[in-house]
Amino acid sequence: MDQELLMKQIVEQVMAAMKNGTSAPAAPAACCGTGNKVTAANYPLAESMADKIKTPTGKDFTSLSYEKVINGELSADDMRIAPETLEMQAQVAESVHREAFAGNLRRAAELIAVPDERLLEIYNALRPYRSTKQELLDIANELDGKYGAKTAATLVREAAEVYEKRGRLKKF
Amino acid sequence: MKSKRFEVLDARPVNQDGYVQEWPEVGLIAMNSPFDPKPSIKIENGVVTELDGKCRAEFDMLDTFIADHAIRLENAEKAMAMDSLDIARMIVDINVSRKEVLDITLSLTPAKLTEVVGKLTIVEIMMGMTKMRARMIPANQCHVTNVRDNPVQIAADAAEAGVRGFAEMETTVAVARYAPFNAIALFVGAQVGRPGVMTQCALEEATELMLGMRGFTTYAETISVYGTEPVFMDGDDTPYSKAFLASCYASRGLKMRFTSGTGSEVQMGYAEGKSMLYLEARCLAVTKGAGVQGTQNGSVSCIGVPAGVPGGIRAVAAENLIAMLLDLESTTSNDQTFTHSDLRRVARTVPQLFSGTDYICSGYSATPNYDNMFAGSNWDAEDYDDWVIIQRDMKVDGGLQPVREEDVLKARNKAARALQGMFRELGLPEITDAEVEAATYANGSNDMPQRNVNEDLKAIEDMMARKVTGVDFVKALDRAGFPDVAHNIYNMLRQKVAGDYLHTASIFDQNFHVLSAVNVPNQYHGPMTGYQISEERWNQLKNIPRAIRPEDI
Repeated sequence: MDQELLMKQIVEQVMAAMKNGTSAPAAPAACCGTGNKVTAANYPLAESMADKIKTPTGKDFTSLSYEKVINGELSADDMRIAPETLEMQAQVAESVHREAFAGNLRRAAELIAVPDERLLEIYNALRPYRSTKQELLDIANELDGKYGAKTAATLVREAAEVYEKRGRLKKF
Repeated sequence: MKSKRFEVLDARPVNQDGYVQEWPEVGLIAMNSPFDPKPSIKIENGVVTELDGKCRAEFDMLDTFIADHAIRLENAEKAMAMDSLDIARMIVDINVSRKEVLDITLSLTPAKLTEVVGKLTIVEIMMGMTKMRARMIPANQCHVTNVRDNPVQIAADAAEAGVRGFAEMETTVAVARYAPFNAIALFVGAQVGRPGVMTQCALEEATELMLGMRGFTTYAETISVYGTEPVFMDGDDTPYSKAFLASCYASRGLKMRFTSGTGSEVQMGYAEGKSMLYLEARCLAVTKGAGVQGTQNGSVSCIGVPAGVPGGIRAVAAENLIAMLLDLESTTSNDQTFTHSDLRRVARTVPQLFSGTDYICSGYSATPNYDNMFAGSNWDAEDYDDWVIIQRDMKVDGGLQPVREEDVLKARNKAARALQGMFRELGLPEITDAEVEAATYANGSNDMPQRNVNEDLKAIEDMMARKVTGVDFVKALDRAGFPDVAHNIYNMLRQKVAGDYLHTASIFDQNFHVLSAVNVPNQYHGPMTGYQISEERWNQLKNIPRAIRPEDI
């Protein structure tokens, strides 16, 4: 399979997963084991696969330009990373045996949809003695239900259990 | 009668430093404490049920996080069963590849990693660094701060630091509310000095993330982790909140690394009777488990603690090596001042400078010591020539190069003028021509005119409320007549869309081409392999302006 077809397939799968509200950034299942993932050979993606990268606002990476920033066609919202791009970077990481890092990139891909302010609130809620167990579980459900952020939700649920066991929940 | 010799010795700078005997019971021991746990692991149904002598029911929060996230389990029981001495020997054996070592060390527990590096002498630790660091080409990072948070001076110092060769720059504040100005000034100044330099502003965690989201910075580093649960709580975080924070950064296309170091736990009073190195190994396991690409470690701001105990500076090098054994980007401190002795401060840096690390200092102070808001650095602006001459003496690449005064002045002046123009276009308080002139020629903040602090702080508040972002910097610089600088800022913002620089040990060259452990991995396997200084680079390193040229005589 050529690179372009592969990327198209990945993007389609990610888009389909997003539509279904399932975990968008997880490695597309059909891709696993086929040997057609993005690898270190495609890196840096900005140079080797620029035409496969899009902004979260749906613009082509190759269409971004200085002139468009100056004339106001591009805003700060366009200068962000998209879940599909983080998935590709996660695959690059896996190709050089950095599984833990790839996992972080996938968790991050899920969090792209969470607005800045809410993301900061959730981070603060995860700090020690900030939240009750129920509050953490509610956050997990929000991440899961509202944003399809499954692995991030799992991390928050894990935290809720461990904080309870170690007495690090909000004290009344 | 008093010995004249001892009188002289007593007056030496080295005798103004503090030293302490080992006291293992309270953790005042660098490494190999009799109270360090014995390495062990037990895995049942894919779950770690025993870690370094504790069963799962006894796990504290860090043990739980490490057991669930940090250790590659497939091979763990086999790797843990290996003799630590055999693993130590593989680290220095040029016939064993970096990857073969990682296949073992990524499956080790903190106690085992500590035991392994405990078998190495300082020279063997350095051999390990040469082979195990992630990126082939070494680099360097600097601090750019000043006591008055003067943004014009920050821009000028950053530009000079760029000309001198730093790949990353870090600022922080004297007054917290100045942070946005410091971040902007650093960003602009760095891009004037050398396109592609990454910049950060060290602040409270949530504020630091917010500035990154706004496009004021391009990476973050001050995400501290600690080796015992009580100290982690005192740091107002948990491994889980920090892991979440790591993903927040990546979700905005921002590179980040964690920070930790020997001595922090004993300094904060909760070392639980363990050696500094063992606790640092736990920090690094948390870092690995969070999925972060790298770490700043090497005692960092707690360097006074390991430096006071026997073998402490060896332990600091050993902790850098553990980071590398976990395949993390290794940003190796050599920052905070710890000694009055010039000899000691050079010796402390030898392991990282001579071996080469991903970032040798984190950071080198690009200002005089009195302007360094990270409590001074082991290396300051006054040491620039010492650094480049040591590189020349030893034929090592410490990331810096000799410069000419006229090039530095040109860059400083342009950075100050670019910031002046950008401030004007963004409706920020005026930067006068007198300030530009002073910043061009200044050594430190004593040479700078005072700014109206209240006016600056009010303007910062207003700017943040107006939701100004990095995109506005590009537009303002363009309008101000600095399209080349604006292009550089734009190119840095654009990198966040592609995310290539999220990867381990990334830096950019001046054409915004990323160099990381993915495309320039360290492949050292003995003499004449790995990073070799090119002829072009050596010409750059050796040609100091001061050297007499035979043809001139």
